[in-house]
Amino acid sequence: MNSPIDIVVCLKLTARPGVADADERFAGVSPADQAALETALVLAEHSRGSVTAAAVGPVAAELALREALACGAHRAVRLDAPSALDSAEVARQLEGVVGDAAIVVCGDYSLDRGSGSVPAFLAHRLRCAQALGLVSVDHTGVVDRMLHVVRRLDGGRRELLTVPLPCVLSVEGSVARLRRAGLRDALAARTTNIDVRPSAPMAAHAATAVVTPYRPRARTMMSPGDPDPLARLRALTDATGSSTRGETVALEPGEAAERILRSLREWGYLD
Amino acid sequence: MSDRTQHAANPDVDVDVIVVGAGPAGSCAAIALARAGFSVVLLERGPFPGSKNMYGGVVYPRILDELIPRWYDEAPVQRWITRRSTMVMTDTQAMSIDFRNDAWAAPPYNGATAYRPDFDHWLAGHAESAGAQLLCSTTATGLLRDRSGAVTGVTTDRPDGDLTARLVIACDGVNSFLAKDAGLYREVAAKHYTLGVKETIGLPKEVIDERFGVRGREGVDIEIIGCTSGVNGGGFVYTNLDTVAVGVVLKLPALAAQQLRPEQIIAKMKTHSAIAPLVEGGELKEYSAHLIPEAGLSMMPKLATAGLLVAGDAAALCLAAGIWLEGVNFAMASGMYAGQAAAEALRRGDTSEQGLAGYERRLTETFVLRDHRKLRRAPALVLSDRVQHRYPQMVAAVVERMFRVDNPDPKPGLRRILAQERKRAGVRRRDLARDGWAGLRTFG
Ligand SMILES: Cc1cc2nc3c(=O)[nH]c(=O)nc-3n(C[C@H](O)[C@H](O)[C@H](O)COP(=O)(O)OP(=O)(O)OC[C@H]3O[C@@H](n4cnc5c(N)ncnc54)[C@H](O)[C@@H]3O)c2cc1C
Repeated sequence: MNSPIDIVVCLKLTARPGVADADERFAGVSPADQAALETALVLAEHSRGSVTAAAVGPVAAELALREALACGAHRAVRLDAPSALDSAEVARQLEGVVGDAAIVVCGDYSLDRGSGSVPAFLAHRLRCAQALGLVSVDHTGVVDRMLHVVRRLDGGRRELLTVPLPCVLSVEGSVARLRRAGLRDALAARTTNIDVRPSAPMAAHAATAVVTPYRPRARTMMSPGDPDPLARLRALTDATGSSTRGETVALEPGEAAERILRSLREWGYLD
Repeated sequence: MSDRTQHAANPDVDVDVIVVGAGPAGSCAAIALARAGFSVVLLERGPFPGSKNMYGGVVYPRILDELIPRWYDEAPVQRWITRRSTMVMTDTQAMSIDFRNDAWAAPPYNGATAYRPDFDHWLAGHAESAGAQLLCSTTATGLLRDRSGAVTGVTTDRPDGDLTARLVIACDGVNSFLAKDAGLYREVAAKHYTLGVKETIGLPKEVIDERFGVRGREGVDIEIIGCTSGVNGGGFVYTNLDTVAVGVVLKLPALAAQQLRPEQIIAKMKTHSAIAPLVEGGELKEYSAHLIPEAGLSMMPKLATAGLLVAGDAAALCLAAGIWLEGVNFAMASGMYAGQAAAEALRRGDTSEQGLAGYERRLTETFVLRDHRKLRRAPALVLSDRVQHRYPQMVAAVVERMFRVDNPDPKPGLRRILAQERKRAGVRRRDLARDGWAGLRTFG
């Protein structure tokens, strides 16, 4: 067996949807973050590795870290920072904690339905492989420093990937069910020391991404002239028209990017 | 536990005391014990203290003077009760006795409305500050015993979940599995319980202030009889800052016999002309239900056995006596006395049944058992068929005739009205006298 590997699991504590303030009684981590923790623990068990649970946020974030410790994480690090940071900044803060870890596991969304982009920013900063939005992680390859994972694609399709370490993974909630902490571990975790580090100075021009729900643009249509009400309804709703099918185009990368942007603009995703 | 000997004075056990249930009883027991220097684990099955708990809404926390001086400066109170009404209702009538007291709006106060997820969380916070280890999302599933049968700990639903202690205090609320497991209940019968159901209705604070005639943090407590669609029980309306709690308490066998659903009974109560103007236009925020150990002394279990004490609703210490529905203060007091008696027994190193006798002695010397003894006939009287169904009709009819102006007929005398309406309500003079005497003996 190769040498033990270090795994970092990133956890975000947020208020549950529908709760106005960040009352810690109603805060928690997403099922995806829980699955990330379980994935990290299983990978560590198969590689004699260790798991560090990391969170960026105020003191309340320690609740998530203590739960991780109770479940078996070996250590916990909190980067003391306000909770409202954008993804690029969170990734920048986490970079220091990740260090030389071989695997970073994140959930692919937080309870507040974030954009799921922290893992991508993190992989970019670490210059390592990334596999995001995973629906399955096969832990057997970890000893060979090669993970076999399955990624969800649009239209119900799946992509099988082989990811070399070091890598950043993000997993869906269905990937694993978090184990229940044992009684003694749960009691001990209440007082285990958490490594609290000051956050790195904030980046001067941290980008702020405003994510809004998808709202298709209104389309201008000619008033249908047909006197038959049913025909007018059909004309307005396209109810019986042929549905738009996916289109396969073969283009150079630059042209492909242009094409994607144009389509996104047409469909109303981009202004 | 890796630090097994670090906490418990006795190295053979994990901890000195396990308190099961972080409700008012459990937290007060844990505060008393932790302050006395014992290691305490407070187990709570909910994700946080109070998350699973519901009640009508009025708490009388004066008993906290001993544990948390000036509790009123910090307790998460919604409103201070300054107005108490007792209402007798028929389908189309209502008669109230309304009492208002400005002094109850200032320290040391009297009653207060509070949400349980706030109140219980706050109280458990004091237990933690005192040094108790609170462990949530953990259900005690049974008792551990030694060969002699003495309780030595609990089993829980967590992996590796047995925890041993010198003493266990069961504060796991009504229908306590631990007290039953220990064989402390003689009889568990449906007739001893009522079902409490409650709607919490959201309204703007100004609207509540105006409708209930209060200002600022002043609040109202209305107890109602005759509002339960013929099922023996009672109702209540309490004001929070921006919600109103409307609920009923229903005798279980009567509810089953009538084949009515509790939500139907509340819905009907809310259409009554005395209640509808108070709640109309409100938004239903929450619907909750819970059992109440209603029968007081007649259902109370043995309060201690070797290695185990039982407090609060787990010991059926809730006082349900008509105009009084007090459970939280009885739970806090019994929890505190259990904690004190436990500390005494642990210091002496004697947690046998005899060694724990200080608990019952404390309850007997204080309001906890004195009130229960004094009001022991109240639950049966208040829930009796005559008090529930005949007297409200009779009282409303008498009052209606007193206030009705039937000119050109002259006003009838009160005695005549009373006699006529008693007959019309089907109440025998003998029964009226007997109930009057029972009422005097009970409440007098
Ligand atoms: C509808 C209704 C209206 C009421 N109105 C009032 C009122 O206005 N004023 C008043 O003073 N009283 C009222 N009461 C009574 C009052 O709610 C109770 O008497 C009081 O809550 C008892 O406190 P306790 O600590 O004994 O039990 P509880 O408050 O029931 O607390 C028990 C705790 O133990 C936990 N628990 C249970 N089993 C386990 C287990 N196995 N393992 C771990 N944890 C466990 C529970 O989650 C809970 O937190 C009302 C009750 C009802 C149902």
